[in-house]
Amino acid sequence: MKKITRYIFFVMLVALPVLAQESPYFVTYDHHLEQPGNLEIETQSNAGFPRHGEPSYFAPYIELEYGFTTRWTSELYLEGQSRSGDSTVFTGWRLENRFRPLAAEHRINPILYFEYENINEASRIQKETPGHATEFDVPNSESRHIRAHELESKLILSSNVHDWNIAENFIAEKNLSHNEGVEFGYSFGVSRPLGTIASAANCHLCRENFIAGAELFGGLGSTKGFGFHDTTHYFAPALSWQVSNNSSLRFSPAIGLTSKSAAVLLRFGYSYEIRGFKDKIASLFRGAK
Amino acid sequence: MTLRAAITKKRFWNIFALIVSTVLVGIAMGQNLTYQQDPGWQPPQAAITRANPLARNADAVGGGRKLFLRECTECHGREGNGRKRAADLVLPQVQKQSDGALFWKITNGNARHGMPSFAKLPELQRWQLVLFLRQLPLSASTAAPMEKE
Repeated sequence: MKKITRYIFFVMLVALPVLAQESPYFVTYDHHLEQPGNLEIETQSNAGFPRHGEPSYFAPYIELEYGFTTRWTSELYLEGQSRSGDSTVFTGWRLENRFRPLAAEHRINPILYFEYENINEASRIQKETPGHATEFDVPNSESRHIRAHELESKLILSSNVHDWNIAENFIAEKNLSHNEGVEFGYSFGVSRPLGTIASAANCHLCRENFIAGAELFGGLGSTKGFGFHDTTHYFAPALSWQVSNNSSLRFSPAIGLTSKSAAVLLRFGYSYEIRGFKDKIASLFRGAK
Repeated sequence: MTLRAAITKKRFWNIFALIVSTVLVGIAMGQNLTYQQDPGWQPPQAAITRANPLARNADAVGGGRKLFLRECTECHGREGNGRKRAADLVLPQVQKQSDGALFWKITNGNARHGMPSFAKLPELQRWQLVLFLRQLPLSASTAAPMEKE
């Protein structure tokens, strides 16, 4: 518990000097894509506290999200991991793309998601937890040498109902480096802004700047053994705070629901959005002529 | 009045006229007067007839202005003139549209022309944006740029 308190204090300290309305989810995706030409730089972290005396871990990652068009957003992740009493390692990178097949808003809005992951088995960012449970007791010196080239796809379904967002993600992942079959997972999220009308004042702590929600995510085994056996599942209340026009802060503790899950995951994130990034870059080149 | 004073006064009015005409030309050039509506981007009849639930709530305009500055100025400009890349929101072909039509367009966006959907904003905030859009012609006619937030 002391370790958790110390971690929260550390992250709050780091996050304080960093001053877009962001969904509070860490794992679940809704149907809202990045605006075209905008770049969002996001730094997030996942601290895990396993159940059976295995060392805790801290897995930070940086995410660069760019809106190519109104219907295509791409993201690059760079991730690392530090394990208590062990080492700190770079765990790889991921490139994901989200496509919106239907132009207008519908009752249910589908998004198609494709991701390539070039990571190693030391990865602990837990952006999703498909397949079977991860072994927490393997030291970094071993797990970092086990490469994983993975292809992942998601069907994202998301609806806005009276200011509530309800999102369901269905995950299928194939590890190209090892014969693990196709792994499956899920995540569900629900969220709502605390205030639905904008005040005229430029306030930081107005209710409209906060979105509260919860998500439930986990694995469903693989084609070699489908079901809940030996899988991890988490329930996570989540809160996002739009600190300024361009930046937001997020926090979510996730509670492990099965004996194979970590007891607690503490997740923090803050993002800074550069609006009109494409135009800003283009103007640099225009100026050079 | 001495000859010197008369010349000074004439020079003052010349400079004043020059400044005013420069400002007016600037406003005209800044506007996207070539804006053409996308004929395929038509809200359904049920959406067009929706009334703004905040129509009688004058206090909500301030919040709409704040949202406009945050969400819309990147493409439409601080005065809503479109900056030659998006719709000029001051033009009559935009302003004559019903509140419900504007709300539908903000909600759904127009993927063909790069207008994103703003369905991520709560419904009342999208109505606040519509409320503020109605104020834009007033801002433009006085040519007073909105102060920086």
